[in-house]
Amino acid sequence: MTELLIAVGVMCAINTGLAILLVIADALIADYGECTVTVNDRKKLTVTGGRPLLNVLKDQQIFIPSACGGRGSCGLCKVTVLEGAGPLLPTETPWLTPEEQKANVRLSCQVKVKRDLRIQIPEELFSVRQYRTQVVGLADLTYDIKEVRLKLIEPPALTFTAGQYIQIEVPPYELTAEPIYRAYSVSSAPSETGEIELEIRYVPNGICTTYVHKHLKVGDTVTINGPYGSFGLHPTEREIICIAGGSGMAPIKSLLLEMERTGNPRTCRYFFGAKAKRDLFMVDRMRELEKSLPNFRFIPALSAPEPGDAWEGETGLITEVVARHVQSAAEAEAYLCGSPLMIDACIPVLRAKGLPEANIFYDKFS
Amino acid sequence: MKQSAKDDIIQSQMRPGVITRDGMLGEDRRNLCDILEADDAAVRRLGLTHAAIAARMRALRDAGARGLGLPIGALDHFEVRVDSVRGKLPCPFRHQGMFPKEFVEVRNVRSGEQAMFTELNMHLIEAHGFYEGLGSAYRQEPETLARVLEIVP
Repeated sequence: MTELLIAVGVMCAINTGLAILLVIADALIADYGECTVTVNDRKKLTVTGGRPLLNVLKDQQIFIPSACGGRGSCGLCKVTVLEGAGPLLPTETPWLTPEEQKANVRLSCQVKVKRDLRIQIPEELFSVRQYRTQVVGLADLTYDIKEVRLKLIEPPALTFTAGQYIQIEVPPYELTAEPIYRAYSVSSAPSETGEIELEIRYVPNGICTTYVHKHLKVGDTVTINGPYGSFGLHPTEREIICIAGGSGMAPIKSLLLEMERTGNPRTCRYFFGAKAKRDLFMVDRMRELEKSLPNFRFIPALSAPEPGDAWEGETGLITEVVARHVQSAAEAEAYLCGSPLMIDACIPVLRAKGLPEANIFYDKFS
Repeated sequence: MKQSAKDDIIQSQMRPGVITRDGMLGEDRRNLCDILEADDAAVRRLGLTHAAIAARMRALRDAGARGLGLPIGALDHFEVRVDSVRGKLPCPFRHQGMFPKEFVEVRNVRSGEQAMFTELNMHLIEAHGFYEGLGSAYRQEPETLARVLEIVP
């Protein structure tokens, strides 16, 4: 028994010693010094090596979208690393197609800056900025969706196009010891540059949604960065079919407000799915839009109206309602936002109505 | 049960910041093998198997997916909402593939009780009998699952 205890003790001591050595080695030997990151062959950044590229770029005010805080679990923070990245890591391969791997696309959260790097990022990311904002409005749109209104403080204006999204920084609080970032579509009109509106649905255990729903107060300061994304209205004359559910309302509302401001005459039908009346919101605003946009029609549908709802509108899953209303969509284009399940189910319905896949645009939550 | 070196490696994947921000162990300080053994015993006391529990979770998930992101009535007296957020997670036991960050919210309309689990939870229970550590945000108590989801031997 004594021998066994001694053996365990020796093994523990060896393991502890090795762990300490590794920590010391990482601190002393793994000193990568100053490295140069060349972005798009025109911007040279001098940075301290040893940290993930995503964080290094953020410190230099270059914001790459990321939804998981740099843990390699969202696959969003892709950049092209032309030189200096080292071999592809096993944590990256699940997120990269063979074509992307061949083109040196990497996850910036997984690539550590250990030597000089030459990278390529989409040009539009240069216009992404960090903003300090103040909460000037909080309203319950439904029992689980909150409207958050943020006033831009510094810089005082955010220029974006309808359909784009921003990232909110959630400061450390009881559910997180470090700041985390989550993406939300802007629901307000792009013309309103001094304030933006977001619609955020509560997700159980969600770090950001719990913060917004249970901790955020009017007057609080919130840091955001953006704008991001390419979801938005294409400048054609085609009929528009919008389909959304829940907080998927946000980017569609922004598109519609922009259409209202510009007096866009395109025919537009907006199918919005909810379970029961208590899940519906913005109905009055949509009815106002029907008046100001003569070719716009709002079609809310309830999948399971409650007995007290006295609902006389459309019922059924949104796919069924779209299938009933849309005869031919060959000359249309569609804008979808909401649950991936909803989007995946809507695409075949639209395709069956003759809508080419190339004219179906969507903003999946996943 | 004795914790193997392989268990140590798997357990290291479950620590905060490796696969998920908060990890899969919560405040549980036990070895992985002890966590698995305790939950296996709990499941056997219920007269169930991990496969049966996972199958019921999967059936509710599949029925709920018909709601296309909205809550929908399922399996007679349940209301289920299936939704997801951006991203995928690997299995800490090093299974091939990635699991979407999909959430299943189940409300037993008859009892009023609720449960919430993920796609990864279903895999971990079915393939490994792992319900996560005590205090983990996504810990699934076998007794609670059996009661709320009405899983009977």
